[in-house]
Amino acid sequence: MRLASGILVTIATAALAGAAPSVPHPSPDVSPNVSVDPAVIGRAPVTSWPTFNGDYSGRRYSTLTRIAPSNVNRLVQQWVYKITDVGAQRGAPVPIIKCTPLLAGGVLYITIPDHVWALDARTGKPIWHYDWVDHGGHLVGQRGVGIWKTTVFFQTPDNWLIALNANTGRELWKKNYADARKQYFSTSAPLIVKNHVIVGVGGDAMDMPGFLEALDPVTGNLQWTWWSTPRKGDPALTSWPNEPASEHGGGMTWMPGTYDPALNLLYWPTGNTNPVFAGQGRSGANLWTESIVALDADTGELKWYFQVSPHDTHDFDNTTAPILFDREVRGKPRKLLAQAARNGFFVTLDRVTGKYLVVKPYVPLDYFSGFSLQGEPIPIPDKDPTVGGSINIVNATNWQAPAYNPQTGLVYVNSVEGKAIYYLTDDTDQPSGYGGTGEGIGHSERVLQAIDPLTGKAVWRHTYPNLNNAPTTLGPSILTTASNLIITGDDQKSAIIFSADKGQILWHHELGANESGGVITYLLDGRQYIVFGAGDSLYAWSLPQ
Amino acid sequence: MRHPVVRALLAGAVVILAEIAISQQVQTGTPKGAPQQPAYQNMTQDQRSAATRAFLGLGPEPDKVAAARGGPLYQQNCAFCHGPQARGATGANLITSDEVLKDDHGERLAEFLRMGRPEKGMPAFATMPEDQLKDIAEFVHVQVEEVANRGAYHVLNILVGNEEKGREYVSAHCIACHAPGAFAHIGSKFRLPEQLQRGWIWPIRSGSDLLAITATVKTPDGATIAGRVSLVSDFRVTVVDHAGQTRSIDRAPGVEVEMHDPLAAHQQMIMTLTNEEMHNVTAYLETLQ
Repeated sequence: MRLASGILVTIATAALAGAAPSVPHPSPDVSPNVSVDPAVIGRAPVTSWPTFNGDYSGRRYSTLTRIAPSNVNRLVQQWVYKITDVGAQRGAPVPIIKCTPLLAGGVLYITIPDHVWALDARTGKPIWHYDWVDHGGHLVGQRGVGIWKTTVFFQTPDNWLIALNANTGRELWKKNYADARKQYFSTSAPLIVKNHVIVGVGGDAMDMPGFLEALDPVTGNLQWTWWSTPRKGDPALTSWPNEPASEHGGGMTWMPGTYDPALNLLYWPTGNTNPVFAGQGRSGANLWTESIVALDADTGELKWYFQVSPHDTHDFDNTTAPILFDREVRGKPRKLLAQAARNGFFVTLDRVTGKYLVVKPYVPLDYFSGFSLQGEPIPIPDKDPTVGGSINIVNATNWQAPAYNPQTGLVYVNSVEGKAIYYLTDDTDQPSGYGGTGEGIGHSERVLQAIDPLTGKAVWRHTYPNLNNAPTTLGPSILTTASNLIITGDDQKSAIIFSADKGQILWHHELGANESGGVITYLLDGRQYIVFGAGDSLYAWSLPQ
Repeated sequence: MRHPVVRALLAGAVVILAEIAISQQVQTGTPKGAPQQPAYQNMTQDQRSAATRAFLGLGPEPDKVAAARGGPLYQQNCAFCHGPQARGATGANLITSDEVLKDDHGERLAEFLRMGRPEKGMPAFATMPEDQLKDIAEFVHVQVEEVANRGAYHVLNILVGNEEKGREYVSAHCIACHAPGAFAHIGSKFRLPEQLQRGWIWPIRSGSDLLAITATVKTPDGATIAGRVSLVSDFRVTVVDHAGQTRSIDRAPGVEVEMHDPLAAHQQMIMTLTNEEMHNVTAYLETLQ
């Protein structure tokens, strides 16, 4: 394998700017001075959005109230940044922004696979653009960067962690952490916790084990590795038929997790088991795939786990955010965690112990026979993929961000209700890879749900009318605010603002494409902005000055 | 009869849709990660395999002709330890082997095979000609391809049901809407059983006026607009009326939209259909050639 090398594009000097055609509208007047103290990353985001979920909790909740139900009808588009200098990428004819932008020091950082832009948040004009030439990997999406002091961290499709100067885009160092020829690929946004750059990985085409790594932000040196499946001597091996099955058992870590600074625990969702649809060669629960795991942030040591989909055979790929929030339950303050899982179950756990409070379906489903003592749904074997076909639900949601509003006490998720026929294409006793396939059957619809995490019941639901099936791998993310707003979108190019308490539509606007990445909000020069990607464009909205 | 109005329409619709479906390639879209190309569902198997290979970044395509030559050599010399599909036996699984995945077309593997790995009990193939060693390498690469490239997967023989029970299900559940004889020759209208299975459960709607969703829209000023729905969202409904005129109506307060879906009974059926019922009906309908 040839070593990959990044092509650095910078506007540090006029001479270079002239030689850098991939910067369409450089803003040489802007000389940013971005620096993010890692100690502030976990605080409520106000004038910045310094990490994937805004803060570590995964709530995607903003305390800002300037944009409110009473004035949303006056929202005005401030600028649009359209990606015009990237053509078709492998498997992706047009760029789609699937990142959550970060904002620090008046600079927005956005990504698509192989590309990072720093934009002037006041104008939407590029300050610098970093263009990576990959040698393999899967260009399906890119969730964004992480930032530590003056360094921006970016993960490439072929599994390089790139450290860039946040102000110039200059490459500082790079480190390869997984082999693209083993079908590992990266789409995640690194999570910065203290002096750790936490890096997750994807890739389920070839029966590889998932892992999570912490790297040093200055040197890129490895601090710890946590493997998603157990190794020799670990009691969890009893959830696999043998050691080779575990070593090839999947459980990718391709979405950023959440973090509780007081407990110093990372909460990471782990992806689907391998082989994906063919479970006959891996009898058992297959730990710790399809789980929420709590890891010590300094050592990577596993503190507890809750397996949302034991012995998954439907690519339920448990990667939605574990949202952290505190609530009083029967008179006692509790530290909780909730997840609207892709297997259709809503899960609320005690995040100190991992013990469950609520495990309840939030979409119509009939593939489980009951619950284990730990509260894990027990799948019905007859619903496994078969040669003749087996009907089950499509993924009930996907990587798009849910949200939690502490004022309403509700979790918001854009779910999908629908069915598919799952076929086993490899019925040998030694299957490998996907080993099966699925095909949607009937109409599937997108439903925005506001779920009470203490009961698992929806307080309100909004079904988006649509002739077409809801896409299962792409969908609108959610942001919620202290002014009772839910900011999201439909699958027909409309950005939509709902009231958080009742689900009433307050505002909508038709865009050039579906809202496709994370929605963020922040104060800049005293004005509140709402920023999100839709297709190849990044949109910024605010109230008139 | 629960749905007398739509009975005649649906009886004809199944036949029309079956004909439409004949020209369609089998739909095996994966729930995750189909390449973002609109024509993917209409590609041939080879095209889909190539598109998925590019999408996944799977590297150079194995030489299938060389692999066919290498197959017998592999089975004779390697399969005993590494398994017939290279997925491991007493010897290592080669699908995920570093030595295999670092290699493109035998440029490394041929040398590796020539030397063997005596310390681990793997013999050296020192006298085997270079071209044969490369053919073996290509065979192993095809085994990797068949695992990693899900665009190249084939649905197996899905006709696993009981024909008689399928006939009973159809008699009991389908004739409420469909005329007797509506399913004559339905088995011959689909190229593959999996297309038939999909086609009877959820007929392809596009291109069929009979299966189109229709709407009646009443506006606050008392006007009524009816026709085939071409778009509906929270904010707008677009209908094509009998004259072929397209009307787009904002869903402002006071606008009432009533939709009618000719496939509503099928949507309900999908929610409760058991796998056994599905297999039995498909097996029965396949006999109606």
